[in-house]
Amino acid sequence: MIERIAAFGRLGLDTVSSFGRSGRFLAGVLGGVPRPATGFPLLMKQLYAVGVLSLPIIVVSGLFIGMVLALQGYTILSDYGSEAAIGQMIALTLVRELGPVVTALLFAGRAGSALTAEIGLMKATEQLSSMEMMGVDPLRRVVAPRLWAGFIAMPVLAAIFSVIGIWGGMLVGVDWLGVFEGSFWGNMQSSVDFVDDVLNGMVKSVVFGFVCTWIAVYQGYDCVPTSAGISSATTKTVVYSSLAVLGLDFVLTAVMFGDF
Amino acid sequence: MAQRTTEILVGLFMIAGIAALLVLALQVSGLSPKSAESTYTIYANFNDTGGLTPRGRVSMAGVTVGTIESITLNKETFQARVRMSISSDVDNIPADSSAVIRTSGLLGEQYIDISIGAEVESLKEGDTFYSTQSAMNLERLISNFASGRAGN
Amino acid sequence: MDSSAYISLEDVVFSRSGRRIFDGVSLEIPRGKITAIMGPSGTGKTTLLRLIGGQLRPDSGRVVVDGHEVPKLRRKALYAFREKMGMLFQSGALFTDLSVFENVAFPLRVHTRLPEDMIRDIVLMKLEAVGLRGARHLMPSELSGGMTRRVALARSIALDPELILYDEPFAGQDPIAMGVLVKLIRDLNSSMGLTSVLVSHDVPESLSICHYACIIADGRVIGEGSPEQLREHPSGQVQQFLQGQPDGPVPFHYPAEGAARDFGLSGGVS
Repeated sequence: MIERIAAFGRLGLDTVSSFGRSGRFLAGVLGGVPRPATGFPLLMKQLYAVGVLSLPIIVVSGLFIGMVLALQGYTILSDYGSEAAIGQMIALTLVRELGPVVTALLFAGRAGSALTAEIGLMKATEQLSSMEMMGVDPLRRVVAPRLWAGFIAMPVLAAIFSVIGIWGGMLVGVDWLGVFEGSFWGNMQSSVDFVDDVLNGMVKSVVFGFVCTWIAVYQGYDCVPTSAGISSATTKTVVYSSLAVLGLDFVLTAVMFGDF
Repeated sequence: MAQRTTEILVGLFMIAGIAALLVLALQVSGLSPKSAESTYTIYANFNDTGGLTPRGRVSMAGVTVGTIESITLNKETFQARVRMSISSDVDNIPADSSAVIRTSGLLGEQYIDISIGAEVESLKEGDTFYSTQSAMNLERLISNFASGRAGN
Repeated sequence: MDSSAYISLEDVVFSRSGRRIFDGVSLEIPRGKITAIMGPSGTGKTTLLRLIGGQLRPDSGRVVVDGHEVPKLRRKALYAFREKMGMLFQSGALFTDLSVFENVAFPLRVHTRLPEDMIRDIVLMKLEAVGLRGARHLMPSELSGGMTRRVALARSIALDPELILYDEPFAGQDPIAMGVLVKLIRDLNSSMGLTSVLVSHDVPESLSICHYACIIADGRVIGEGSPEQLREHPSGQVQQFLQGQPDGPVPFHYPAEGAARDFGLSGGVS
């Protein structure tokens, strides 16, 4: 019994200390002035890897999610004779919720796991150590550009996701199911507010982008430098990021939209 | 060279993101550059606002001319006081117009419709509607109908 | 030891995850010489290099390199100090996303503001020194193990360091690659006058090039001196290590409970 309690306590301490380590890690990454001359090309490279290469999966998923929303929404709304509200439903769902959340989940699976594996492998092959021995701080050289890239790329990806989703919903709703296009857009425009819905959705995706990339680079940097260690760190990245995104989404939604 | 390609692709990516945000702003949320235009505030008192919410629209003849800013309770009269901002373009609402709460469709959102009066004077900043018509309450309507029948 | 000590460790104690790796190691490494640190696997030889490089801090004791007390250096001073130091990692640790040329150019680009054509000249000079000038366009994945290590060596001397640390340079190399590395280490030391510290368990190669050697086991220095002195060393443990005997002061068996009991033969099976 005592052992159980002790194990539980140890688990709690481990959790707290790993939070502490990741916080110190973050301070190390963000502390210090970035040097534009060397930093900019590195950031470009990472934005390409994290952002541009994630576009296909984001576009395809956005399209399908929008189309599914239109189909599902149409079935339900046509029972009440208000198919015209389909535009509003699709836009609000995407802009407030599915855009930021699904993008973040896809991002964690595609870009986050790749970041963890890459940094983990650099650690395992002593590249990080050798950089340190050459007097270059790997936190700034390797980790910081990746963190910033994820932070910048996520809202961009989420915005593209929402737009593609709405377009997909319009394809199905208007071109296929025959909702009148004017009321599709009209209903949408009268119910979606730029600040309350669009910008709040953007705030969500900025938060998710930061948290997902932070988890990914931290797990890579902190992993046990063996193949088993890297694979477990990659798994942890996806699991923790997904949980963090869903949990934070609830908190943010409650704060942003809770009083409606 | 490869560096240059990367930069161009990243540039396109960022442009796509900004374009997407613009689409969300203009096409999806109907935010028009004119939205910062000047407005003036008028009030209306209702016995029952029903499901009216802030941010709802105010329209005349079906055209949106303003938005509902806030809905508060007047503690002396126990009426709801609705504050709305009307576009300055529409500065000739006759002073004896009335504000009517209507529902778009059977289950749609509620909005304020201004039914036009005949007076030459028009409503100014801070004025209050002289006559209003509260929300149509479906339940009350049905019970009125039922009791009317019973009395018949 | 005709010249003053470049590195000195005084009574260094270091433990990791509850295991004591060094239990009071004291060591002096002379300037401008090749010093070999040898010992069985798992005695923390690489850890020793990391202590010298300031990547790890000892629990107690002093690590002094060229007058700097390494564990007490502030972050910034530590990074500046490391520019005078090159380290050759066991795996080479080349940056896999950069070509051979860019790998060698990396420290120059980060720490100097030299124009591009000068960087080019220096990189080609360093690659020439390790005989790989023709391989500059290859990616690290296209190199053999020996070539990887030579490129890494070129990279670690790119900034003309005063000290170079070799972590197991001979491990897993074929005889030719090993011969090449032995020659390179000796030549670099004599031509550039740098201090070399070599960590290895390859006894013949290490003893053939070093001026001074010390053997670490069980968290302590068990023997030190010139290669000749070591060969005559009275300690049984030193002799066992140098001659590679399977059994001796270091037992063949990992500590275990009595074999009879382990196999269930002691009759206590009731």
